[in-house]
Amino acid sequence: MVVRDPVARTEMAEIPNVRLNLSNRPENVLLVRQALTGLAESIGLDPLELNDISTAVSEACNNVVLHAYRGKEGPLEVEVCAHPVGLCVTVRDHGCGIGSRAEAADGDGGGIGLPVIRALAHNVEFRERAGDGTEVRIEFATTNAGVLERPQDEQGSQPVTIAQEELADTVAITVAPASLARTVVARVLSALAARAQFSTDRISDMQRLTDALVDHAEDAISASHLSIAISVAPRSLELRIGPLRPGRAEELVLDSIVDGLGPILERLSDGHHVSPAGDSEMLALRLAQRR
Amino acid sequence: MPAQASPAATLRTVPGIAADQRRLFARWQRDGDQASREALVRRFMPLARSLARRYGHSSEPFEDLLQVASLGLLNALDRFDAEQGHSFQAFAVPTILGEMRRYFRDSGWAVHVPRGAQERALKVRGAQERIANERGHTPTVNQLAEYLELDIEQIIDALQAIQAYDTVSLDAPRPGADGDLTAYGESLGSDDERYELVELNATVTAVIGHVPPRERLILRLRFLEDLTQTEIARRVGISQMQVSRLLRRSLERLRTLTRAPGEAQ
Repeated sequence: MVVRDPVARTEMAEIPNVRLNLSNRPENVLLVRQALTGLAESIGLDPLELNDISTAVSEACNNVVLHAYRGKEGPLEVEVCAHPVGLCVTVRDHGCGIGSRAEAADGDGGGIGLPVIRALAHNVEFRERAGDGTEVRIEFATTNAGVLERPQDEQGSQPVTIAQEELADTVAITVAPASLARTVVARVLSALAARAQFSTDRISDMQRLTDALVDHAEDAISASHLSIAISVAPRSLELRIGPLRPGRAEELVLDSIVDGLGPILERLSDGHHVSPAGDSEMLALRLAQRR
Repeated sequence: MPAQASPAATLRTVPGIAADQRRLFARWQRDGDQASREALVRRFMPLARSLARRYGHSSEPFEDLLQVASLGLLNALDRFDAEQGHSFQAFAVPTILGEMRRYFRDSGWAVHVPRGAQERALKVRGAQERIANERGHTPTVNQLAEYLELDIEQIIDALQAIQAYDTVSLDAPRPGADGDLTAYGESLGSDDERYELVELNATVTAVIGHVPPRERLILRLRFLEDLTQTEIARRVGISQMQVSRLLRRSLERLRTLTRAPGEAQ
């Protein structure tokens, strides 16, 4: 009988169901909560458990917001793996180690983040990576949550990254299976559309757009995950969707044709283009708030 | 057991304050001195307040939560062993959170909160229509948040809820707003009817023919004429939210029909 070393088990990279790559700006913590809520909707998570998870993960993210980069901007990475009996959330940064953080020792108001996480989670592990920031792995016990198929392929384990210069205005969401985008991406996209000062009717278009995308994306992606990078500018959003099999980006738009109405993806957006990305393709959609 | 690093930074107490606190705890716990207890409550109330805000960040009413958090704080003040030299905060956080979790569980929060969220969704929907009528275009999330004195996240959640709720549950208390086909027929000008007939002949296939006429008109105005939902709402004589929901419904219907055209009924 082989007894697996528990450390080796955790070293083995598990492909997450949801991954967010974003900047550690304070307003981004809301996006993490929206993604968690979207995941909870997809797997039918108990609202009380979601509240615990959301509170604890917010604290871990706030810690990165406040302390990881000593007042500068830097990447925040959140990964979520949903298991039948639990949810595991990893919050990672590439800043200063947690031991050296000047976390509020100023008495009674601050510094309650970690006690809050400990109180709400089933298990918490901190891992300081030599010279490359901190990883907090938080496990939650959950009941009655639906089971997701485990993402399998090699490419799925390649982390999506956004360049430092994009950090200020871009958020990347990766979901596996792609169907999770329906709730997870829709919520994050709505929140970003709100940030781009879109009107609420344009925000409701976002849901239709995500639906049309998810309907056809599963056949088009070249991995078992779907990644969407969203860049925000005033009254404008750009979505880059991938990795798509060669030739499938343009097809994805055409697949969304509804008889008599044209391609829904094209109608709901304000222009698209296809760009190569390694062996795959990316579909870029531009969305604007008119008037 | 997995190794848990001890992030000492958060649990550190400042020596001067610690000594003072130990004195207050001793006076309250050993001598029953009410003034010391009140001093401790005053000192740690921000902690209870902060936890109430964090734990129930989008639920209302906040006052109820704060009361539960305060109860947790009083329990923690009674049970804390100051002699051990640990930080009170590290002890109080799980006690207070435990109290709130128990309250959420016992009070049927999971049932209660969606109801609160639904009320908020109705409020957001109302505000959205009022603002759209006043200004001629639908508001942004920021404008709604300002108008209703809610935070951005609450508005975003409400917008999601509006989308998610069944048409019936939100529309029931609005007689006449989402009229039936007869009412629709009255509001539909003859111009539109003619237009639609032309379009039916030219492009509409068997699939889209399964969508009711009003929804077909809305689809056409949105996707072929590129009107905004607000413009469509004005044209068809219903609210923008209803346009949004009808778009969703008909697209979903088209999706199932396209997927399995043979099963179309």
